[in-house]
Amino acid sequence: MTVRALQKISVARNGVGAFILQCKKMDFHYCDWAGSSKGMNGFIKSLLPKFAAAHPQIEFTVSPRPAKHPVIIAHYINGREKAVCVRNMEPFEILKKAELLRDASGEKLRRVTKPVSSINESVRGIWSPYHGEGMRV
Amino acid sequence: MSRALLRSALGLRAPVLRLTAPSVPRATPSLFTPAAAALPTTTAAVRFFNQTAQHVEPTQDPSVLLPSTPSSSSTTTAPSQQQQQQQPPTQQSQPRPLSPTVRALLPILAAQPGHYIRIHIHGRPFLVTEGDSLRLPFRLRGVQTGDVLRLDKASVLGSRDLTLKGAPYVDERLFTCRAVVTGVEAEPMRVMIKKKQRCRRKKHVRSKHRFTVLRICEVRVNGEVVDEA
Repeated sequence: MTVRALQKISVARNGVGAFILQCKKMDFHYCDWAGSSKGMNGFIKSLLPKFAAAHPQIEFTVSPRPAKHPVIIAHYINGREKAVCVRNMEPFEILKKAELLRDASGEKLRRVTKPVSSINESVRGIWSPYHGEGMRV
Repeated sequence: MSRALLRSALGLRAPVLRLTAPSVPRATPSLFTPAAAALPTTTAAVRFFNQTAQHVEPTQDPSVLLPSTPSSSSTTTAPSQQQQQQQPPTQQSQPRPLSPTVRALLPILAAQPGHYIRIHIHGRPFLVTEGDSLRLPFRLRGVQTGDVLRLDKASVLGSRDLTLKGAPYVDERLFTCRAVVTGVEAEPMRVMIKKKQRCRRKKHVRSKHRFTVLRICEVRVNGEVVDEA
């Protein structure tokens, strides 16, 4: 019987060694003419330079998208993307949306009832009635 | 590390901002390690998290180290009762010396391979081990993604054979527990339909909560604890 190695793929646990922000790229689309882009244009002029300078790990692109509502599209490490339409919003509201996209993990939203999720095995082991001193009846 | 030293290491913003800081509920993770302190805040939001006051419990009895055998006999709790009688409640201005049982068994606890810890954040207990992902049932105020928090409120700290129980909290010098804020998650939009009988009208109440996600990056038992007193 040959000795076979255990097949084991390492599981990423972001933050245990190094922490990597999951958002890798953000696209900001605006329109010069439309009124719904008014806040977005102000955001790009006033707040975006500071926001982009604070996050060197994210790639920022700004591009016009004429005759459409303004939108922020965030791309994540896991391959997914999230888009938020920011029509008729004020610059500071748009900043909040940008921060929301920055903090997101890129996963689909789902309801979680248990707060702790662990892949470690149990520290104290599984209780057994046949070991130890037993129970007096 | 003493709190005064840490406060001085954090810089001058703490006393300035404390004037506007609201009172934060007890048993919050009060130490803040500025791993991402160089990261400038994008918003003008005041960060209250590192200005929480040290929460000192008026503990009567010291934390007791019990061997956790499957058949719990009553003799194991005997040293704890002796300790309660010996130590009168003292002023909490300086850290209390450790009891001899804790001092004797702490290196054994530290030497064992795996540890679990029950940390308390805003008074809620979470039993975690190193590397766990902890999605808090609330959004933690004053933290940013990438911050490293030192969680110093723990009620239980243990390994396979030993358990250190705090009364109510384990002395924060005995362990180091750190967590990274990995982000803020949300849940799908909840829609609750409010309908009264014999009335056509339906009201849709929508809610969507946001939750801070932490990753426990370090759980360590300090085997050697030096008493300042």
